[in-house]
Amino acid sequence: MNKKSFILLALILILCGLAPSQTGTKKKRPLPYEYGRVIIDNYSSKAELAPVVFEHWIHRSKFTCRVCHVDVGFAMKAGATNITSADNERGFYCGTCHNGKTVVDGKVVFQACSRKTAGDDLRRCERCHSFGLKVASEYDFFHFSQPLPKERFGNGLDWEKSEELGLIKPARVLEGVSPRGNSLAVQKDFVLNPKVEGMPDIIFSHKKHTVWNGCELCHPDIFMGVKRGTTKYTMVDISQGKACGACHTTVAFPLTDCQRCHTKPV
Amino acid sequence: MFFARFFPPKFTANVVAVMLLVGLTAPCGVRAVGLPQSSASQADQAKEAWQKEFDAVRSKTQDAMTFSEDELTELIRRCDALLPQIEKLDESRRKVYLGRLAKCRGLYAYVLEAKKNEKK
Amino acid sequence: MKRNERGLLLLMLVCGILFLVNAAKAQVYLPKAPPEPSEYGKVILDTYSAAGPGGVVFDHWLHRSMFTCRVCHVDVGFAMQAKATGIRASTNREGFHCGACHDGKKLYEGKPIFPACSDAVSGSDKQCDRCHSLGKKGVRKYEYKDFVAKLPKDMYGVNWQVAEQSGAIKPLDFVEGISVKKPAMKSREDFFVKSGYSWVHPIAFSHEKHVIWNGCELCHPEIFPTAQKGTTHYSMFYNIEGRYCGACHGKVAFPLNYCRGCHGNGPLWAP
Repeated sequence: MNKKSFILLALILILCGLAPSQTGTKKKRPLPYEYGRVIIDNYSSKAELAPVVFEHWIHRSKFTCRVCHVDVGFAMKAGATNITSADNERGFYCGTCHNGKTVVDGKVVFQACSRKTAGDDLRRCERCHSFGLKVASEYDFFHFSQPLPKERFGNGLDWEKSEELGLIKPARVLEGVSPRGNSLAVQKDFVLNPKVEGMPDIIFSHKKHTVWNGCELCHPDIFMGVKRGTTKYTMVDISQGKACGACHTTVAFPLTDCQRCHTKPV
Repeated sequence: MFFARFFPPKFTANVVAVMLLVGLTAPCGVRAVGLPQSSASQADQAKEAWQKEFDAVRSKTQDAMTFSEDELTELIRRCDALLPQIEKLDESRRKVYLGRLAKCRGLYAYVLEAKKNEKK
Repeated sequence: MKRNERGLLLLMLVCGILFLVNAAKAQVYLPKAPPEPSEYGKVILDTYSAAGPGGVVFDHWLHRSMFTCRVCHVDVGFAMQAKATGIRASTNREGFHCGACHDGKKLYEGKPIFPACSDAVSGSDKQCDRCHSLGKKGVRKYEYKDFVAKLPKDMYGVNWQVAEQSGAIKPLDFVEGISVKKPAMKSREDFFVKSGYSWVHPIAFSHEKHVIWNGCELCHPEIFPTAQKGTTHYSMFYNIEGRYCGACHGKVAFPLNYCRGCHGNGPLWAP
């Protein structure tokens, strides 16, 4: 045998020896207050700080998805935005609001990442840089979620209904960051037909989505197809984070709740 | 031209072309926000101008579906025109503004393509 | 031999050994013999409690006679592998996991269910040992033999499907405050799954029988990702590993040794 086939065979054997796969099992489900948690560690560990733990639930009750993901400019995958402490100090990304001056709901938002720290300041750092640390959270999920309508999975809350009923009022405009826009031109709802027999059709509501996202959050980055029906999204694609799965795996409600999308009465 | 005596012809031609282009397209931009207000120095004015232009272009995304193909093409051109300004910024600002520009330009291009598709 | 070739040969030898070890680990040719019926479905949870109050022994037979699989594994949200859920005394006290029902307030058959990991209870009212019973005798309230005495049996223990059908048990599918009412979805028709081996009887899979216990979300999409029928190959080896059918039919539903349970009542060897 020549050298090339040796190497090839060796490679194959290595792969056989090392290949685990874990489809077909039910994994741990995050608790309601853990769902939507993002761990960010581009630079924190290198700077000897605990990685950042970002909780979606506290932020999405105060701001629409659009404000952060379009106006401020956060990416939709952990670590993809590449936030540095310098960015925060200059008033970008987290620092857009976390600057010690902006007032949200009557409270001054604490400053993120300052060069000068003194005394008790480390506790401020740990409010975000808390991965693996026992940090008492300022906001309690239980008290927060008590008055809100409940749903299955995810955070255990019906965010859409909460917004409809006015129990939460997520801000759509961030002063100085969001461009001043006119009222939304609403797109029509439309039906998506699943390929699997027995599954009810999906009634996709643009209105329900644009309330939170506007247009640019999804188009064209997440949904590129311009002609309805030409791009096919399978549930496997979606569960891997493509198309609907960009939000409906880890942050909006998870895919396990089939009937929240597959709603058309049979 | 007096100008042409000191600079190579190609550069002159470019400058003239740019001036003509700006002059011709300025009226099309009237639909957007008005001219920037004069404040302190010229540099500040210039900075404010492009930022206001940026905000103006971004503020129309909500109505993207109502624009004609020409209007969308114009908006895309305006987005592209902002790119050189943004590239000159410091690291943080460049990162943030590039991201915002990409989202806004991407949407206009997307809607334009959708409209062209509808015609077919 | 040249040095290069010798090195490569050594590498191949190592990989070959790795491959064989993995093959032996994963490719077990027959499922292991199941434990005693009273032990079947027992889950030991002692990640955090071993040092303190003692390991937790969770017996499936007690809970599945009272609730469907769906209530715990979908509504409450337990994982389907021991120690994978991350249950702690704090989560119980917060009303998650065991604490979803074991909160001292929810009623079962008119009586409040004892609270799990509660600070409020003390002295003789403490019921810690009812769950933290690993290695302890005489602390449990319900014992297997008496509990299942009247239930229909089969060769591997209780036949839960017949028990539910006959009305001997009435497992609840909805718990107030935890479950959310959803419109009923049409159950898919039964279908056959052909085996890869011609001499093995095909499996008659009944959605109906599974949906009674599991609803849809327990299996889909995590355990059985949607795909065109026939495209995903569910081999017995995967089942023995605890994947796909084996997620339940390994340690909790009926054991894989009970071939007839899936491969029908006819002769195992198809003509």
